[in-house]
Amino acid sequence: MIELIEKIEGEAKLDFSFTNDLIDYVKIEFLSARGIENILKNRPALDSLVINPRVCGICGHAHLIATVQALESCYEKIEISDKAKIIRELTLNFELIQNHLKWFYLVLIPFFGKKQDTKKALYSSSLMTKAIAVLAGQYPHNSYAIVGGITSSVTNGDFIKVRSLIDEAILFFQSNLVDANIEEFWECDSVEHIFEKEGDLVDILMYIIYSNLNDMGKSYDRFIAFGGNSYFKKGKSNKTVVSTNLKYEYIKEKLIDYSYAKNVYYKDKSYEVGPLARGMINKVPLIKDAHRKYGDSIFSRILARVCEIAQLLYHSKQLLSMCNIKEPSYIKPKIDIKNITANGIGYVEAARGSLIHKVDLVDGIIKDYTIITPTQWNLGSGTKDNLGIAQNAMVGLSSVDEAKLVFKSFDVCSVCTTH
Amino acid sequence: MKNPNGENKKIKILWLSGISCYGNIHSFFNYPHMEVFLEDFEFIYHPVLDSTFSLKEIVNETKECNILLIDGAISDDFHRADVNIKDIINRYATSVNRIVTVGTCATFGGIFKYSDFQSPRGLHFCGDELQTDFLHLRNKTISISGCPIQPEVLVNTLYEIKNQTDIKLDTFLRPKEYYAYTVHNGCTRNEYFEYKVDGHKFGELEGCLFYDHGCQAPYTAGSCNKILWNEQNSKTRSGSPCFGCTEYTFPKMSLYDTKKNMGIPQNLPLGVPKRAYLTIAGVTKAFSIQRLEKKLIDD
Ligand code: SF4
Ligand code: SF4
Repeated sequence: MIELIEKIEGEAKLDFSFTNDLIDYVKIEFLSARGIENILKNRPALDSLVINPRVCGICGHAHLIATVQALESCYEKIEISDKAKIIRELTLNFELIQNHLKWFYLVLIPFFGKKQDTKKALYSSSLMTKAIAVLAGQYPHNSYAIVGGITSSVTNGDFIKVRSLIDEAILFFQSNLVDANIEEFWECDSVEHIFEKEGDLVDILMYIIYSNLNDMGKSYDRFIAFGGNSYFKKGKSNKTVVSTNLKYEYIKEKLIDYSYAKNVYYKDKSYEVGPLARGMINKVPLIKDAHRKYGDSIFSRILARVCEIAQLLYHSKQLLSMCNIKEPSYIKPKIDIKNITANGIGYVEAARGSLIHKVDLVDGIIKDYTIITPTQWNLGSGTKDNLGIAQNAMVGLSSVDEAKLVFKSFDVCSVCTTH
Repeated sequence: MKNPNGENKKIKILWLSGISCYGNIHSFFNYPHMEVFLEDFEFIYHPVLDSTFSLKEIVNETKECNILLIDGAISDDFHRADVNIKDIINRYATSVNRIVTVGTCATFGGIFKYSDFQSPRGLHFCGDELQTDFLHLRNKTISISGCPIQPEVLVNTLYEIKNQTDIKLDTFLRPKEYYAYTVHNGCTRNEYFEYKVDGHKFGELEGCLFYDHGCQAPYTAGSCNKILWNEQNSKTRSGSPCFGCTEYTFPKMSLYDTKKNMGIPQNLPLGVPKRAYLTIAGVTKAFSIQRLEKKLIDD
């Protein structure tokens, strides 16, 4: 039985097969790819900073940051000011937050009998896209991160504006999603505490519990995150055992013949990426508690994604106050990139999980470019005896509607998956 | 519910995506008065928002619709829900009043004119080359170029269609109201441009990016420095060059460099002849304006 899945920044097909009325296999098929990696070939290195945000309309900024990090890692030595690092991290955080808000109000709640809430989705996400614009010029599709720092010189007034936008988003969160003080999320270590509150997130989580859906969507309980920064830790976790030593050499992309999305494995195994993975690797108390009680089910996945909004808002406020405006935004690299022949890799945590860019430069010209997106990790279409993460999470369910919910709980993005 | 104007007939829009990154959709989501907009317009299909029909229904049947929006490049071998995009366009093209190409890909092919699809391009142009297969739709088409579109430009144009305003278009079918300006118009660095203060460094408030950093704004049609992005800012104000994303040339090669012949920028501001430019440059370079040589805030 083939279902067309749409409204995922593109479309995909899920081909279900059943045994005894239960799903026993789902083939995941993405229907076209745009070939950005080829478009980049033989272009000057810096052009990738303009092309790559166009991989995706909703997480293009993560692609920009991954690109600049890949290019910078081609240098043996390059100096980036703390200010530039902090501001890059801030704009990336804001992108994650706007993504999660749109996902919750546009994609998720319709599965629970509510209408899409465009008003809440777009009001709250625009606060974040405005904050990016103040620092980076515009959103989407700016190219303000540049080898050596950022292009913008930020003023005190800009910082005040950004802080107000963060505060307004915090107010939105507290009066709509969970009526808890955002700082409480840092310490909160029990799901029960959330149930005592009110809000749109609480309603959904309660619904899941009352309808006995809390076991739904479990996969391998294996998580990975490559993009470390001042908030996210890098590492992988097998159930709750976390290790931090990750190597690019262990990542493998594999072509499949019926879909434009390549599978990706770490040491030949599928790993889940995204907010739940990050929460587990970061040992966020609330997420660990959810995982202890409900495993890697949709319950934990949804909670982790929305909880990350609160975590990132709070952390962004701290980051902003740490930023020294007097530092330079940009430090001109000692060697012009036109003279560089090297390979570089950039790792970033994007909204949907780990994003990896790898570039090969010869005299500053791109000879090869590889992009591995978060959705490739989660949505890989494996064989019956080696299922991908989302596939495994859908197997055993009895209805296609449930499977669709599980599928969309990974925050599917077709353009990223295929790029 | 009646909209504030007391009308209740909504204009029906079909948003059809071709080869795209969905950036135009997310840029559109930054439109600040969305609630009012959705009172006046109805999406019979939208790639993210809930809409009247499913994609399958849209591509297999012909639903009533007033405006067709095409975002993303088109190609002979690109399909939506298993139906060729050109067939979908043809199906709706005759019945709609207007077609709007949303973004540079749908208008000129954009970055995806370099993709591996079969002859990817915009609806009427591939770069600046006129395409013939949809020629009969030219009189209906308005191009809103930009990678991505500015939400206000798209929405205002949709209202102008609704109000049956006579929209004046340029040769690429773009509304002059927004594309008769250059992006240079309104940049906070204009004085540095005028007096040829080219000592720009990234990360600074001072200096113009035209002379060394590839800024294409003086010959790029668009309102980026007039209608600010996300109501806040623009690329050039924040120190990034304009990459000319509203133009058929986007994306050029070497986007951060200014191509020069014997020290003179190869592309001059729109409508400025080379000799005149050299004369003015000679005069303005003779000025030494201390105010423009200094830092604006910290000295
Ligand atoms: S930076 Fe670009 S837009 Fe600004 S003044 Fe210079 S040429 Fe014009
Ligand atoms: S400033 Fe230039 S590159 Fe940026 S959005 Fe406007 S036209 Fe496009």
